[in-house]
Amino acid sequence: MSSPERYRVLALSAAKHDYVPLAFKDHPRFQVTGVSDEPSAAGWVHECNEQLAADLGVPYEPGIDAAIARHRLHVAVVSSEAARHARLSVRAAQAGLHVVQDKPMAPTVADCDAIVEAVERAGVRFLLWNRNTQPAIEEARQLVYAGEIGEPRAIHVDFFFSKDAGVLLDSDEPEEVPDNWLSEGELTVEGIYPLAHMRHILGLDALRAFGRTSAHFFRRHAERGVEDIATVSLEMERGVIGSLCIGRIGQPSHPNVGELRVHVIGSAGALVIAEPRPEVAVYTRGQTPEDPRNRRSDEETDRRQVDLLVNALDTGGDTLLTARQGRHIVATVAAALQSARTGRPCQVSRPG
Amino acid sequence: MIRLALVGCGRNAAALAAAAAASDLCELRVAADIDPKAASNLARAADARAHVGDLESLLESDADDIQAVIVNTPNDSHADIALAAIAARRHVLVEKPLALSADAADEVRRRADRADVRLMVAHTLRFMPANVQVHRALAAGELGKPGMLRSHRWLRRFPGPPGGWKHNPARSGGLYVHEAVHEIDQALWLIGERPTHVHAQAQPDLLQIHLGFESGAMALCGVATGLPLGSGYYSLALIGSLGAAYADDHHNVHLVYRGQRPQAVVTDQRASGVRAQFDEFARAITEGREPSVSGADAVAALQIAEAAAASSASGQTAHLTETGYVLA
Repeated sequence: MSSPERYRVLALSAAKHDYVPLAFKDHPRFQVTGVSDEPSAAGWVHECNEQLAADLGVPYEPGIDAAIARHRLHVAVVSSEAARHARLSVRAAQAGLHVVQDKPMAPTVADCDAIVEAVERAGVRFLLWNRNTQPAIEEARQLVYAGEIGEPRAIHVDFFFSKDAGVLLDSDEPEEVPDNWLSEGELTVEGIYPLAHMRHILGLDALRAFGRTSAHFFRRHAERGVEDIATVSLEMERGVIGSLCIGRIGQPSHPNVGELRVHVIGSAGALVIAEPRPEVAVYTRGQTPEDPRNRRSDEETDRRQVDLLVNALDTGGDTLLTARQGRHIVATVAAALQSARTGRPCQVSRPG
Repeated sequence: MIRLALVGCGRNAAALAAAAAASDLCELRVAADIDPKAASNLARAADARAHVGDLESLLESDADDIQAVIVNTPNDSHADIALAAIAARRHVLVEKPLALSADAADEVRRRADRADVRLMVAHTLRFMPANVQVHRALAAGELGKPGMLRSHRWLRRFPGPPGGWKHNPARSGGLYVHEAVHEIDQALWLIGERPTHVHAQAQPDLLQIHLGFESGAMALCGVATGLPLGSGYYSLALIGSLGAAYADDHHNVHLVYRGQRPQAVVTDQRASGVRAQFDEFARAITEGREPSVSGADAVAALQIAEAAAASSASGQTAHLTETGYVLA
């Protein structure tokens, strides 16, 4: 069957981030036809969806089955709260739609298994949104795959983002918690990015994890028992030693929006990526301390990810981060969190 | 000026002699080695007297009125030479590791205590200018409570012939004892407490150490000794509850080491760090106080290095106890 001139896209919820569906706006090979969601979604979610629909210039149509039937769709873009990811992605796959999904893939490995099963049974493509199209990451992968540093032996990623999440632990200030503040653990939610970098650069999976976590900064995280910083040691395929430092380290803790650092040691050399994540520094008179002095410039990275998706859809090939790969990342995070609780290394589970 | 004898005029001795020359607080009087050529070469370069033979014969005559001894010999001789200096009631600055085992190191520490001489161990990462600033910020409370330390240090392949002592774990102590004690000491210094457990992984010329602390703090450190050529690489991040500090020998550049020089200017902080270490040793002697890197610090680092090696060998986590560790 020939590829359509334009893939028709339905945005399924914009509760979490709008940048995933917005990456498809104005792309020559995609047409976003509408925004939909479950009618039972929270009120604030419907408000987010209406805003996204307005930004895209398309209707907002609560009621997913009707929206799918009405638009003759090819692709669903799911960016709901994490707890609904599996339900919405499975539903879309069962309707025969390719799925692009925001992170984290799902709260549990069992949820991820359900997505993998639905996607593979339906024979559709699945892309877990990631940052592997950052130029430095792509260059690192090319160098490694070209054998420039020999056989990989160790990899480390620092992934720090200098944002706050409410009041600090030892503060007496009262805290107002907005409806859309989900306060999930940072390794749980953001771990996909550095772990996907490792997977992308080396093409290897983690087998065993040892983790440490702490609610070091924010009262809300401590009250909910979730982590804002974590360190993870990984035993990877082919004997490669992996490690990861991740954290929401607080607004004052970095001159930029955060830091991405990648170390790869090979048998014939090594490479280092050391940079803030893609951003633009803006300094103007009149900026308050709360104003972001550094602003995201991820559009190019996101657009490249969508370009690669076109190729996967046209050829039936793999996406940049498939359902199985995403499932393994969630299993790696789960093993690290279990290790942090038990004080012992834990196996990364494989699909049954 | 503290009058020094440097024992061991092989690799690294020239850097030590240069640091002593740069210090206003000490002077190198004697360059001692069992190899006459090594002793005379260094003595000539450092404007010192050469001594060929063991330390006992040097200190017996004591023509130079030596107050302190720098031990820069192969690792398996550190403890014996330090004990000889202590027996002769000389202060001692020992290259790391203080000994090949924590127990042997503790014996040196006890003898130094009994003899009331200053014992310092060259955990030089504490004296690197960038790390000094990080520690100063931490001590001043600017960073709040330390939560996460991440450090990586990559070195060129060990020089010397394949049969040399650095390539022989029985003489060097292996990577954990020879190199990782630097990272472990740095972590204990910056986090400010003894870890509760350690998890480690290793390959022949690289290792990773993951430390957990009672306060909830964590440290992840990596050491590699197989860089083909070019300079080394050092990178540190310390995340505190109120701020963070980053101490790298390069800034915001992508480096690719492929056997050539790295594609960036890398600052070598080692030289000024060694001089600062000598100054601290001299001040501790003059002021009659414990040096900032004590024998007890060196023993603690070796205890954790031994636990890390056991963790790596077993694939289990070493849970530290008062007297040792339990694998689980």
